[in-house]
Amino acid sequence: MATATAWRTGRATAWRTWQTTRRAYPWTYAVGTVLPAALTIALGHLAFHAIGAGETGSGFHEGPYLAYLAVGATAYQFTVRLILWSAKALITEQRQGTLGALLIAPAGRLPYLLGFTAFAVLSSVAEFLTLAVVVAALGITIPVASPLGALAGALALITATFAMSVGLGGLMIAAGEAHISQNTLFCVLGLLCGYTFPRAYLPAPAQWLADALPTTAAMDVLHGSLTGGRTLTDLAPRLALSLLLSLGYLLAGLRGLPRAEARAVERTY
Amino acid sequence: MTTGIQVRDLRKDFPVRDRGLFGPRTAKTAVDGLDLDIPAGRITGLLGLNGAGKTTTIKILATLLRPTSGTVRVDGLDTVADARAVRRRINLIAGGERMVYTRMTGRENLWYFAQLYDVPKRQVRTRIDDLLALVGLTNAADTPVERYSRGMTQRLAIARGLVNDPAYLLLDEPTLGLDAPIARDLRRVVARLAAEGTGVLLTSHYLAEVEELCSHVHVIADGRHLAAGSPAQLKTATGSHATVRVTVPNPSPAIAEVAARFGATRTPADDGAEVLTLRHPDDIAGPLAAAVVQAGGSITALDITEASLEDAILTLTDRTARTEAVPA
Repeated sequence: MATATAWRTGRATAWRTWQTTRRAYPWTYAVGTVLPAALTIALGHLAFHAIGAGETGSGFHEGPYLAYLAVGATAYQFTVRLILWSAKALITEQRQGTLGALLIAPAGRLPYLLGFTAFAVLSSVAEFLTLAVVVAALGITIPVASPLGALAGALALITATFAMSVGLGGLMIAAGEAHISQNTLFCVLGLLCGYTFPRAYLPAPAQWLADALPTTAAMDVLHGSLTGGRTLTDLAPRLALSLLLSLGYLLAGLRGLPRAEARAVERTY
Repeated sequence: MTTGIQVRDLRKDFPVRDRGLFGPRTAKTAVDGLDLDIPAGRITGLLGLNGAGKTTTIKILATLLRPTSGTVRVDGLDTVADARAVRRRINLIAGGERMVYTRMTGRENLWYFAQLYDVPKRQVRTRIDDLLALVGLTNAADTPVERYSRGMTQRLAIARGLVNDPAYLLLDEPTLGLDAPIARDLRRVVARLAAEGTGVLLTSHYLAEVEELCSHVHVIADGRHLAAGSPAQLKTATGSHATVRVTVPNPSPAIAEVAARFGATRTPADDGAEVLTLRHPDDIAGPLAAAVVQAGGSITALDITEASLEDAILTLTDRTARTEAVPA
Protein backbone atom coordinates (compact mmCIF):
# COMPACT_ATOMS: atom_id res chain seq x y z
CA MET A 1 0.00 0.00 0.00
CA ALA A 2 2.71 2.47 1.04
CA THR A 3 4.79 1.41 -1.96
CA ALA A 4 1.86 1.98 -4.32
CA THR A 5 1.28 5.43 -2.83
CA ALA A 6 4.97 6.28 -3.16
CA TRP A 7 4.95 5.07 -6.77
CA ARG A 8 1.96 7.31 -7.57
CA THR A 9 3.71 10.31 -6.04
CA GLY A 10 7.00 9.68 -7.84
CA ARG A 11 5.38 8.98 -11.19
CA ALA A 12 3.06 11.99 -10.95
CA THR A 13 5.95 14.27 -9.98
CA ALA A 14 8.08 13.07 -12.91
CA TRP A 15 5.13 13.62 -15.26
CA ARG A 16 4.37 17.04 -13.81
CA THR A 17 8.01 18.11 -14.13
CA TRP A 18 8.08 16.93 -17.72
CA GLN A 19 4.94 18.92 -18.57
CA THR A 20 6.07 22.13 -16.89
CA THR A 21 9.59 21.92 -18.32
CA ARG A 22 8.31 21.23 -21.81
CA ARG A 23 6.14 24.35 -21.61
CA ALA A 24 8.74 26.53 -19.90
CA TYR A 25 11.79 25.89 -22.06
CA PRO A 26 12.28 25.44 -25.81
CA TRP A 27 14.27 22.39 -26.91
CA THR A 28 17.20 24.70 -27.68
CA TYR A 29 17.65 25.10 -23.91
CA ALA A 30 19.04 21.56 -23.83
CA VAL A 31 21.64 22.52 -26.42
CA GLY A 32 22.77 25.39 -24.18
CA THR A 33 23.26 23.03 -21.26
CA VAL A 34 25.49 20.71 -23.31
CA LEU A 35 27.84 23.42 -24.51
CA PRO A 36 29.98 23.75 -21.32
CA ALA A 37 30.82 20.02 -21.38
CA ALA A 38 31.44 20.10 -25.14
CA LEU A 39 33.75 23.07 -24.64
CA THR A 40 35.67 21.27 -21.86
CA ILE A 41 36.25 18.27 -24.12
CA ALA A 42 37.16 20.41 -27.13
CA LEU A 43 39.60 22.57 -25.15
CA GLY A 44 41.15 19.47 -23.61
CA HIS A 45 41.50 18.03 -27.10
CA LEU A 46 43.17 21.24 -28.31
CA ALA A 47 45.54 21.51 -25.34
CA PHE A 48 46.44 17.84 -25.51
CA HIS A 49 47.43 18.02 -29.16
CA ALA A 50 48.66 21.63 -29.48
CA ILE A 51 50.48 21.96 -26.15
CA GLY A 52 51.09 18.41 -24.97
CA ALA A 53 51.90 17.11 -28.46
CA GLY A 54 49.58 14.16 -27.83
CA GLU A 55 51.47 13.02 -24.72
CA THR A 56 50.50 12.96 -21.03
CA GLY A 57 52.95 13.34 -18.16
CA SER A 58 54.55 10.31 -16.61
CA GLY A 59 52.18 10.52 -13.62
CA PHE A 60 49.06 9.78 -15.67
CA HIS A 61 48.17 6.08 -15.64
CA GLU A 62 44.45 6.20 -16.36
CA GLY A 63 44.46 5.12 -20.00
CA PRO A 64 43.98 7.44 -22.98
CA TYR A 65 43.71 10.99 -21.60
CA LEU A 66 41.12 12.33 -24.03
CA ALA A 67 38.83 9.37 -23.38
CA TYR A 68 39.27 9.99 -19.63
CA LEU A 69 38.43 13.66 -20.15
CA ALA A 70 35.38 12.89 -22.31
CA VAL A 71 33.99 10.46 -19.74
CA GLY A 72 34.71 12.88 -16.88
CA ALA A 73 33.25 15.97 -18.58
CA THR A 74 30.11 14.07 -19.55
CA ALA A 75 29.73 12.66 -16.03
CA TYR A 76 30.30 16.09 -14.51
CA GLN A 77 27.71 17.63 -16.80
CA PHE A 78 25.30 14.89 -15.79
CA THR A 79 26.01 15.43 -12.08
CA VAL A 80 25.43 19.18 -12.36
CA ARG A 81 22.14 18.69 -14.19
CA LEU A 82 20.93 16.14 -11.66
CA ILE A 83 21.77 18.42 -8.74
CA LEU A 84 20.10 21.38 -10.44
CA TRP A 85 16.89 19.39 -10.75
CA SER A 86 16.83 17.38 -7.54
CA ALA A 87 18.33 19.81 -5.03
CA LYS A 88 16.42 22.80 -6.39
CA ALA A 89 13.06 21.04 -6.44
CA LEU A 90 11.88 22.36 -3.09
CA ILE A 91 13.28 25.88 -3.38
CA THR A 92 11.63 26.14 -6.79
CA GLU A 93 8.33 25.18 -5.16
CA GLN A 94 8.96 27.87 -2.59
CA ARG A 95 9.68 30.52 -5.23
CA GLN A 96 6.59 29.70 -7.27
CA GLY A 97 4.32 29.71 -4.20
CA THR A 98 3.48 26.00 -4.18
CA LEU A 99 5.65 24.79 -1.28
CA GLY A 100 2.80 25.12 1.23
CA ALA A 101 0.45 23.06 -0.92
CA LEU A 102 3.11 20.38 -1.27
CA LEU A 103 4.02 20.29 2.43
CA ILE A 104 0.44 19.86 3.65
CA ALA A 105 -0.09 16.90 1.31
CA PRO A 106 0.46 13.48 2.92
CA ALA A 107 2.81 12.31 0.14
CA GLY A 108 6.31 11.34 1.24
CA ARG A 109 9.20 13.58 0.33
CA LEU A 110 11.47 10.73 -0.87
CA PRO A 111 9.17 9.58 -3.71
CA TYR A 112 8.58 13.21 -4.65
CA LEU A 113 12.32 13.83 -4.97
CA LEU A 114 12.83 10.52 -6.77
CA GLY A 115 10.20 11.63 -9.28
CA PHE A 116 12.23 14.76 -9.98
CA THR A 117 15.40 12.71 -10.31
CA ALA A 118 13.77 10.21 -12.66
CA PHE A 119 12.78 13.08 -14.92
CA ALA A 120 16.30 14.55 -14.70
CA VAL A 121 17.94 11.21 -15.58
CA LEU A 122 15.65 10.67 -18.56
CA SER A 123 16.04 14.22 -19.86
CA SER A 124 19.83 13.92 -19.54
CA VAL A 125 19.84 11.06 -22.02
CA ALA A 126 19.32 13.54 -24.88
CA GLU A 127 22.19 15.65 -23.59
CA PHE A 128 24.36 12.56 -23.21
CA LEU A 129 23.72 11.57 -26.84
CA THR A 130 24.56 15.08 -28.03
CA LEU A 131 27.87 14.92 -26.18
CA ALA A 132 28.55 11.49 -27.69
CA VAL A 133 28.28 13.12 -31.12
CA VAL A 134 30.82 15.79 -30.10
CA VAL A 135 33.19 13.13 -28.77
CA ALA A 136 32.90 11.09 -31.97
CA ALA A 137 33.41 14.21 -34.11
CA LEU A 138 36.69 14.89 -32.30
CA GLY A 139 37.81 11.36 -33.07
CA ILE A 140 37.92 10.29 -29.44
CA THR A 141 37.35 6.59 -28.81
CA ILE A 142 36.15 5.40 -25.40
CA PRO A 143 37.54 1.97 -24.57
CA VAL A 144 35.00 0.03 -22.50
CA ALA A 145 36.93 -2.39 -20.34
CA SER A 146 33.90 -3.58 -18.37
CA PRO A 147 30.37 -2.75 -19.63
CA LEU A 148 28.89 -4.12 -16.40
CA GLY A 149 31.28 -1.99 -14.38
CA ALA A 150 30.37 1.07 -16.45
CA LEU A 151 26.67 0.45 -15.80
CA ALA A 152 27.31 -0.03 -12.08
CA GLY A 153 29.43 3.13 -12.04
CA ALA A 154 26.72 5.16 -13.77
CA LEU A 155 24.08 3.90 -11.31
CA ALA A 156 26.40 4.62 -8.39
CA LEU A 157 26.94 8.15 -9.70
CA ILE A 158 23.17 8.73 -9.98
CA THR A 159 22.67 7.38 -6.45
CA ALA A 160 25.53 9.45 -5.02
CA THR A 161 24.34 12.64 -6.70
CA PHE A 162 20.77 12.10 -5.56
CA ALA A 163 21.89 11.39 -1.99
CA MET A 164 23.87 14.64 -1.84
CA SER A 165 21.03 16.56 -3.49
CA VAL A 166 18.58 15.74 -0.68
CA GLY A 167 20.76 17.41 1.94
CA LEU A 168 21.64 20.30 -0.35
CA GLY A 169 17.95 20.83 -1.14
CA GLY A 170 17.22 21.09 2.58
CA LEU A 171 20.05 23.57 3.02
CA MET A 172 18.72 25.66 0.14
CA ILE A 173 15.16 26.02 1.47
CA ALA A 174 16.36 26.58 5.03
CA ALA A 175 18.68 29.37 3.90
CA GLY A 176 16.40 30.60 1.12
CA GLU A 177 19.40 30.63 -1.18
CA ALA A 178 20.36 28.41 -4.09
CA HIS A 179 23.14 30.00 -6.10
CA ILE A 180 25.99 30.12 -3.59
CA SER A 181 25.25 26.67 -2.20
CA GLN A 182 24.85 24.90 -5.54
CA ASN A 183 27.86 26.56 -7.18
CA THR A 184 30.04 25.86 -4.15
CA LEU A 185 29.12 22.21 -4.44
CA PHE A 186 29.78 22.23 -8.20
CA CYS A 187 33.28 23.67 -7.58
CA VAL A 188 34.02 21.14 -4.84
CA LEU A 189 32.86 18.22 -6.96
CA GLY A 190 34.69 19.41 -10.07
CA LEU A 191 37.93 19.94 -8.20
CA LEU A 192 37.98 16.96 -5.85
CA CYS A 193 36.10 14.01 -7.28
CA GLY A 194 38.37 13.08 -10.18
CA TYR A 195 35.96 13.91 -12.98
CA THR A 196 38.41 15.39 -15.48
CA PHE A 197 41.76 14.65 -13.84
CA PRO A 198 42.91 11.94 -11.40
CA ARG A 199 42.62 13.09 -7.81
CA ALA A 200 46.13 11.73 -7.15
CA TYR A 201 47.28 15.13 -8.46
CA LEU A 202 45.58 16.85 -5.50
CA PRO A 203 47.31 17.63 -2.17
CA ALA A 204 46.71 15.00 0.53
CA PRO A 205 44.11 16.99 2.59
CA ALA A 206 42.04 17.57 -0.54
CA GLN A 207 42.16 13.84 -1.27
CA TRP A 208 40.87 13.07 2.24
CA LEU A 209 37.98 15.44 1.66
CA ALA A 210 37.34 13.84 -1.73
CA ASP A 211 37.13 10.42 -0.09
CA ALA A 212 34.24 11.63 2.06
CA LEU A 213 32.14 12.32 -1.04
CA PRO A 214 30.23 9.39 -2.58
CA THR A 215 30.70 10.77 -6.10
CA THR A 216 34.49 10.23 -5.84
CA ALA A 217 34.22 6.45 -5.45
CA ALA A 218 31.46 6.37 -8.10
CA MET A 219 33.75 8.16 -10.56
CA ASP A 220 36.55 5.70 -9.72
CA VAL A 221 34.23 2.89 -10.79
CA LEU A 222 33.16 4.70 -13.94
CA HIS A 223 36.67 5.71 -15.03
CA GLY A 224 38.14 2.37 -14.01
CA SER A 225 35.62 0.31 -15.96
CA LEU A 226 35.78 2.51 -19.09
CA THR A 227 39.32 3.82 -19.57
CA GLY A 228 41.21 2.21 -16.68
CA GLY A 229 41.03 -1.38 -17.91
CA ARG A 230 39.59 -2.64 -14.59
CA THR A 231 36.93 -5.28 -14.03
CA LEU A 232 33.84 -4.97 -11.83
CA THR A 233 35.44 -7.32 -9.33
CA ASP A 234 38.46 -5.01 -9.06
CA LEU A 235 36.17 -2.07 -8.52
CA ALA A 236 33.73 -3.75 -6.10
CA PRO A 237 35.24 -2.17 -2.94
CA ARG A 238 34.97 1.34 -4.44
CA LEU A 239 31.42 0.58 -5.55
CA ALA A 240 30.49 -0.60 -2.07
CA LEU A 241 32.08 2.50 -0.51
CA SER A 242 30.17 4.79 -2.85
CA LEU A 243 26.85 3.10 -2.03
CA LEU A 244 27.59 3.16 1.71
CA LEU A 245 28.47 6.85 1.66
CA SER A 246 25.38 7.55 -0.47
CA LEU A 247 23.20 5.80 2.08
CA GLY A 248 24.72 7.90 4.85
CA TYR A 249 24.20 11.16 2.93
CA LEU A 250 20.64 10.16 2.03
CA LEU A 251 19.66 9.29 5.60
CA ALA A 252 21.22 12.48 6.96
CA GLY A 253 19.49 14.53 4.26
CA LEU A 254 16.08 12.96 4.88
CA ARG A 255 16.47 13.39 8.62
CA GLY A 256 17.24 17.07 8.27
CA LEU A 257 14.61 17.81 5.65
CA PRO A 258 11.55 18.27 7.93
CA ARG A 259 13.49 20.77 10.04
CA ALA A 260 14.62 22.60 6.88
CA GLU A 261 11.03 22.70 5.60
CA ALA A 262 9.80 24.08 8.92
CA ARG A 263 12.54 26.71 8.80
CA ALA A 264 11.50 27.65 5.26
CA VAL A 265 7.89 28.18 6.35
CA GLU A 266 8.97 30.15 9.42
CA ARG A 267 11.17 32.39 7.30
CA THR A 268 8.09 33.70 5.50
CA TYR A 269 6.59 34.81 8.83
CA MET B 1 -14.01 8.81 14.52
CA THR B 2 -14.59 12.54 14.24
CA THR B 3 -13.91 14.27 17.53
CA GLY B 4 -13.03 17.64 16.05
CA ILE B 5 -9.91 19.74 16.36
CA GLN B 6 -8.75 20.56 19.87
CA VAL B 7 -6.14 23.25 20.41
CA ARG B 8 -4.74 23.39 23.91
CA ASP B 9 -2.40 25.99 25.39
CA LEU B 10 -0.87 26.60 21.98
CA ARG B 11 2.21 28.79 21.80
CA LYS B 12 4.41 29.73 18.89
CA ASP B 13 7.58 31.78 19.17
CA PHE B 14 9.53 32.89 16.15
CA PRO B 15 13.23 33.61 16.51
CA VAL B 16 14.04 37.07 15.18
CA ARG B 17 17.31 38.92 14.93
CA ASP B 18 17.12 42.40 16.39
CA ARG B 19 19.90 43.75 14.19
CA GLY B 20 22.14 42.58 11.38
CA LEU B 21 22.85 39.11 10.13
CA PHE B 22 24.66 38.01 13.28
CA GLY B 23 22.84 40.07 15.90
CA PRO B 24 21.37 38.43 19.01
CA ARG B 25 18.24 36.37 18.52
CA THR B 26 15.10 37.04 20.47
CA ALA B 27 11.78 35.24 20.44
CA LYS B 28 8.68 36.97 19.11
CA THR B 29 5.50 35.34 20.35
CA ALA B 30 2.86 35.01 17.65
CA VAL B 31 0.47 32.70 19.52
CA ASP B 32 0.31 32.68 23.27
CA GLY B 33 -1.60 30.03 25.21
CA LEU B 34 -4.47 29.61 22.76
CA ASP B 35 -7.35 27.18 23.34
CA LEU B 36 -9.78 26.43 20.52
CA ASP B 37 -12.32 23.77 19.63
CA ILE B 38 -13.37 23.21 16.03
CA PRO B 39 -16.07 20.57 15.92
CA ALA B 40 -17.13 18.69 12.83
CA GLY B 41 -20.09 20.15 10.96
CA ARG B 42 -19.65 23.72 12.19
CA ILE B 43 -18.04 26.83 10.69
CA THR B 44 -15.90 28.42 13.35
CA GLY B 45 -14.54 31.93 12.80
CA LEU B 46 -11.14 33.07 13.99
CA LEU B 47 -10.99 36.85 14.08
CA GLY B 48 -8.51 39.49 15.07
CA LEU B 49 -6.65 42.46 13.69
CA ASN B 50 -3.56 42.10 11.52
CA GLY B 51 -0.76 40.39 13.44
CA ALA B 52 -3.17 38.81 15.91
CA GLY B 53 -1.85 35.32 15.17
CA LYS B 54 -4.63 33.99 12.95
CA THR B 55 -2.47 32.82 10.04
CA THR B 56 0.16 31.35 12.37
CA THR B 57 -2.57 29.39 14.16
CA ILE B 58 -3.97 28.10 10.87
CA LYS B 59 -0.49 27.12 9.66
CA ILE B 60 0.07 25.13 12.85
CA LEU B 61 -3.28 23.40 12.42
CA ALA B 62 -2.31 22.61 8.81
CA THR B 63 0.98 21.01 10.05
CA LEU B 64 3.02 23.65 8.21
CA LEU B 65 4.44 25.04 11.46
CA ARG B 66 5.41 23.23 14.63
CA PRO B 67 4.11 24.69 17.86
CA THR B 68 6.69 25.86 20.40
CA SER B 69 4.49 24.30 23.09
CA GLY B 70 0.95 23.09 23.53
CA THR B 71 -0.94 20.57 21.44
CA VAL B 72 -3.22 20.40 18.45
CA ARG B 73 -5.24 17.23 17.96
CA VAL B 74 -7.28 16.42 14.88
CA ASP B 75 -9.72 13.60 15.60
CA GLY B 76 -7.35 12.62 18.40
CA LEU B 77 -4.24 12.67 16.17
CA ASP B 78 -1.35 14.92 17.12
CA THR B 79 -0.34 17.35 14.36
CA VAL B 80 3.37 16.80 15.09
CA ALA B 81 3.62 13.10 15.93
CA ASP B 82 0.93 11.97 13.45
CA ALA B 83 1.44 14.68 10.83
CA ARG B 84 0.92 12.45 7.81
CA ALA B 85 -2.35 10.99 9.13
CA VAL B 86 -3.55 14.49 10.02
CA ARG B 87 -2.75 15.72 6.50
CA ARG B 88 -5.13 13.15 5.04
CA ARG B 89 -7.97 14.67 7.08
CA ILE B 90 -7.38 18.37 6.53
CA ASN B 91 -6.74 20.87 3.80
CA LEU B 92 -5.89 24.53 3.66
CA ILE B 93 -7.09 27.24 1.33
CA ALA B 94 -5.11 30.45 1.72
CA GLY B 95 -6.34 33.43 -0.28
CA GLY B 96 -3.00 35.18 -0.28
CA GLU B 97 -0.98 32.26 -1.66
CA ARG B 98 -1.06 30.75 -5.11
CA MET B 99 -0.70 27.05 -4.21
CA VAL B 100 -1.16 25.85 -7.82
CA TYR B 101 1.25 25.33 -10.72
CA THR B 102 0.93 28.04 -13.36
CA ARG B 103 2.43 26.05 -16.24
CA MET B 104 -0.09 23.27 -15.79
CA THR B 105 -3.75 23.38 -16.69
CA GLY B 106 -6.47 23.43 -14.06
CA ARG B 107 -7.26 19.78 -14.69
CA GLU B 108 -3.58 18.76 -14.53
CA ASN B 109 -3.16 20.60 -11.24
CA LEU B 110 -6.07 18.77 -9.67
CA TRP B 111 -4.86 15.45 -11.08
CA TYR B 112 -1.40 16.00 -9.58
CA PHE B 113 -2.74 16.85 -6.14
CA ALA B 114 -5.13 13.89 -6.31
CA GLN B 115 -2.04 11.69 -6.71
CA LEU B 116 -0.28 13.36 -3.76
CA TYR B 117 -3.38 12.79 -1.62
CA ASP B 118 -3.72 9.23 -2.87
CA VAL B 119 -7.33 9.77 -3.95
CA PRO B 120 -8.71 6.35 -5.04
CA LYS B 121 -7.93 5.97 -8.74
CA ARG B 122 -11.52 5.25 -9.72
CA GLN B 123 -12.68 8.50 -8.11
CA VAL B 124 -10.04 10.82 -9.54
CA ARG B 125 -11.68 11.73 -12.85
CA THR B 126 -15.16 12.25 -11.35
CA ARG B 127 -13.84 14.28 -8.45
CA ILE B 128 -11.81 16.54 -10.73
CA ASP B 129 -14.82 17.15 -12.99
CA ASP B 130 -17.03 17.84 -9.96
CA LEU B 131 -14.55 20.27 -8.43
CA LEU B 132 -14.01 22.12 -11.71
CA ALA B 133 -17.78 22.49 -12.05
CA LEU B 134 -18.07 23.58 -8.42
CA VAL B 135 -15.66 26.50 -8.90
CA GLY B 136 -16.91 27.34 -12.39
CA LEU B 137 -13.77 26.34 -14.28
CA THR B 138 -15.11 23.55 -16.46
CA ASN B 139 -14.64 25.59 -19.64
CA ALA B 140 -11.09 26.57 -18.64
CA ALA B 141 -10.11 23.13 -17.35
CA ASP B 142 -7.55 22.52 -20.10
CA THR B 143 -6.09 26.04 -20.20
CA PRO B 144 -2.72 26.61 -18.52
CA VAL B 145 -3.15 28.47 -15.23
CA GLU B 146 -0.75 31.20 -16.38
CA ARG B 147 -3.56 32.37 -18.67
CA TYR B 148 -6.09 32.48 -15.83
CA SER B 149 -7.20 35.72 -14.19
CA ARG B 150 -6.42 36.16 -10.50
CA GLY B 151 -9.95 35.18 -9.57
CA MET B 152 -9.79 32.02 -11.69
CA THR B 153 -6.48 31.04 -10.10
CA GLN B 154 -8.00 31.54 -6.68
CA ARG B 155 -10.97 29.39 -7.63
CA LEU B 156 -8.63 26.64 -8.74
CA ALA B 157 -6.78 26.93 -5.42
CA ILE B 158 -10.13 26.40 -3.71
CA ALA B 159 -10.75 23.27 -5.79
CA ARG B 160 -7.26 22.06 -4.83
CA GLY B 161 -8.17 22.49 -1.18
CA LEU B 162 -11.15 20.19 -1.65
CA VAL B 163 -9.40 17.51 -3.70
CA ASN B 164 -8.99 15.12 -0.76
CA ASP B 165 -12.55 15.66 0.49
CA PRO B 166 -11.16 16.89 3.83
CA ALA B 167 -12.91 16.28 7.12
CA TYR B 168 -11.63 19.69 8.26
CA LEU B 169 -11.12 22.68 6.04
CA LEU B 170 -8.91 25.58 7.08
CA LEU B 171 -9.78 28.77 5.24
CA ASP B 172 -7.39 31.71 5.54
CA GLU B 173 -8.93 34.69 3.74
CA PRO B 174 -10.42 32.40 1.08
CA THR B 175 -12.34 35.10 -0.80
CA LEU B 176 -9.45 37.55 -1.05
CA GLY B 177 -9.44 38.94 -4.59
CA LEU B 178 -12.57 37.11 -5.69
CA ASP B 179 -15.40 38.80 -7.57
CA ALA B 180 -18.58 39.15 -5.52
CA PRO B 181 -20.57 36.40 -7.32
CA ILE B 182 -17.72 33.89 -6.98
CA ALA B 183 -17.24 34.81 -3.32
CA ARG B 184 -20.96 34.27 -2.77
CA ASP B 185 -20.77 30.87 -4.49
CA LEU B 186 -17.81 29.92 -2.31
CA ARG B 187 -19.74 30.86 0.82
CA ARG B 188 -22.58 28.62 -0.36
CA VAL B 189 -20.12 25.77 -0.91
CA VAL B 190 -18.60 26.22 2.54
CA ALA B 191 -22.03 26.30 4.15
CA ARG B 192 -23.01 23.14 2.29
CA LEU B 193 -19.79 21.35 3.31
CA ALA B 194 -20.41 22.24 6.94
CA ALA B 195 -23.98 21.00 6.68
CA GLU B 196 -22.60 17.71 5.34
CA GLY B 197 -20.31 17.36 8.36
CA THR B 198 -17.05 19.15 7.44
CA GLY B 199 -15.49 21.14 10.25
CA VAL B 200 -14.41 24.56 8.98
CA LEU B 201 -12.14 27.18 10.50
CA LEU B 202 -12.44 30.52 8.75
CA THR B 203 -10.43 33.71 8.99
CA SER B 204 -11.55 36.64 6.89
CA HIS B 205 -11.29 40.39 6.85
CA TYR B 206 -14.79 40.47 5.36
CA LEU B 207 -16.66 40.38 8.63
CA ALA B 208 -20.03 40.27 6.92
CA GLU B 209 -18.86 36.96 5.47
CA VAL B 210 -17.98 35.69 8.94
CA GLU B 211 -21.31 36.84 10.32
CA GLU B 212 -23.14 35.09 7.50
CA LEU B 213 -21.29 31.81 7.84
CA CYS B 214 -20.02 31.32 11.37
CA SER B 215 -22.19 30.13 14.19
CA HIS B 216 -19.27 30.44 16.59
CA VAL B 217 -16.42 32.94 16.58
CA HIS B 218 -13.15 33.19 18.49
CA VAL B 219 -11.50 36.59 18.81
CA ILE B 220 -7.76 36.80 19.37
CA ALA B 221 -5.29 39.63 19.80
CA ASP B 222 -1.53 39.40 20.11
CA GLY B 223 -1.87 35.63 19.95
CA ARG B 224 -4.14 35.46 22.98
CA HIS B 225 -7.75 34.43 23.24
CA LEU B 226 -10.07 37.35 24.00
CA ALA B 227 -13.60 36.08 23.61
CA ALA B 228 -15.75 33.43 22.02
CA GLY B 229 -19.40 33.03 21.18
CA SER B 230 -21.89 33.53 18.40
CA PRO B 231 -21.64 36.85 16.52
CA ALA B 232 -24.82 38.01 18.31
CA GLN B 233 -23.39 37.06 21.71
CA LEU B 234 -20.17 38.93 20.98
CA LYS B 235 -22.06 42.06 19.97
CA THR B 236 -24.19 41.92 23.10
CA ALA B 237 -21.23 41.24 25.33
CA THR B 238 -19.31 44.20 23.97
CA GLY B 239 -22.29 46.56 24.12
CA SER B 240 -22.22 47.26 20.40
CA HIS B 241 -25.31 49.27 19.41
CA ALA B 242 -27.33 50.03 16.32
CA THR B 243 -26.77 53.47 14.75
CA VAL B 244 -29.79 55.64 13.80
CA ARG B 245 -29.42 58.56 11.37
CA VAL B 246 -32.29 61.02 10.83
CA THR B 247 -31.91 63.65 8.10
CA VAL B 248 -33.86 66.83 8.87
CA PRO B 249 -34.05 69.38 6.01
CA ASN B 250 -35.35 72.25 8.21
CA PRO B 251 -33.28 72.30 11.42
CA SER B 252 -34.40 74.67 14.16
CA PRO B 253 -33.71 75.35 17.85
CA ALA B 254 -36.56 72.93 18.69
CA ILE B 255 -34.82 70.17 16.70
CA ALA B 256 -31.57 70.99 18.49
CA GLU B 257 -33.43 70.55 21.77
CA VAL B 258 -34.75 67.14 20.65
CA ALA B 259 -31.21 66.10 19.68
CA ALA B 260 -29.89 67.15 23.07
CA ARG B 261 -32.71 65.30 24.85
CA PHE B 262 -31.91 62.03 23.01
CA GLY B 263 -28.14 62.51 23.14
CA ALA B 264 -27.85 62.61 19.33
CA THR B 265 -25.00 64.36 17.54
CA ARG B 266 -25.85 66.99 14.89
CA THR B 267 -23.93 67.09 11.64
CA PRO B 268 -24.56 69.68 8.89
CA ALA B 269 -25.55 68.17 5.53
CA ASP B 270 -26.16 69.57 2.02
CA ASP B 271 -28.71 72.38 1.41
CA GLY B 272 -28.82 73.43 5.05
CA ALA B 273 -30.08 70.07 6.26
CA GLU B 274 -28.87 68.40 9.43
CA VAL B 275 -28.25 64.74 10.28
CA LEU B 276 -28.98 63.54 13.81
CA THR B 277 -26.94 60.47 14.68
CA LEU B 278 -27.55 58.27 17.69
CA ARG B 279 -26.09 54.92 18.87
CA HIS B 280 -28.40 53.14 21.25
CA PRO B 281 -29.04 49.60 22.53
CA ASP B 282 -32.84 49.85 22.20
CA ASP B 283 -35.11 50.50 19.24
CA ILE B 284 -34.84 54.25 19.43
CA ALA B 285 -35.56 55.16 15.79
CA GLY B 286 -39.36 55.46 16.24
CA PRO B 287 -39.34 57.70 19.34
CA LEU B 288 -36.62 59.92 17.85
CA ALA B 289 -38.50 60.35 14.54
CA ALA B 290 -41.74 61.11 16.42
CA ALA B 291 -40.01 63.74 18.56
CA VAL B 292 -38.54 65.43 15.47
CA VAL B 293 -41.96 65.63 13.81
CA GLN B 294 -43.57 66.93 17.02
CA ALA B 295 -40.91 69.65 17.14
CA GLY B 296 -42.01 70.81 13.68
CA GLY B 297 -39.26 69.12 11.71
CA SER B 298 -39.53 67.09 8.51
CA ILE B 299 -37.66 63.88 7.82
CA THR B 300 -36.16 63.15 4.40
CA ALA B 301 -34.19 60.04 5.37
CA LEU B 302 -34.17 57.59 8.24
CA ASP B 303 -31.31 55.14 8.26
CA ILE B 304 -30.75 52.37 10.80
CA THR B 305 -27.41 50.49 10.79
CA GLU B 306 -27.41 47.40 12.92
CA ALA B 307 -24.44 46.82 15.22
CA SER B 308 -21.70 45.04 13.31
CA LEU B 309 -19.30 42.32 14.28
CA GLU B 310 -16.55 44.74 13.32
CA ASP B 311 -17.66 47.07 16.13
CA ALA B 312 -17.53 44.16 18.55
CA ILE B 313 -14.03 43.14 17.44
CA LEU B 314 -12.75 46.68 17.65
CA THR B 315 -14.28 47.11 21.08
CA LEU B 316 -12.68 43.88 22.29
CA THR B 317 -9.24 44.68 20.92
CA ASP B 318 -9.41 48.30 22.13
CA ARG B 319 -10.26 47.09 25.62
CA THR B 320 -7.27 44.76 25.60
CA ALA B 321 -4.95 47.49 24.37
CA ARG B 322 -6.18 49.86 27.08
CA THR B 323 -5.83 47.23 29.77
CA GLU B 324 -2.27 46.52 28.72
CA ALA B 325 -1.42 50.21 28.57
CA VAL B 326 -2.28 50.68 32.26
CA PRO B 327 0.86 50.26 34.40
CA ALA B 328 0.56 47.56 37.03
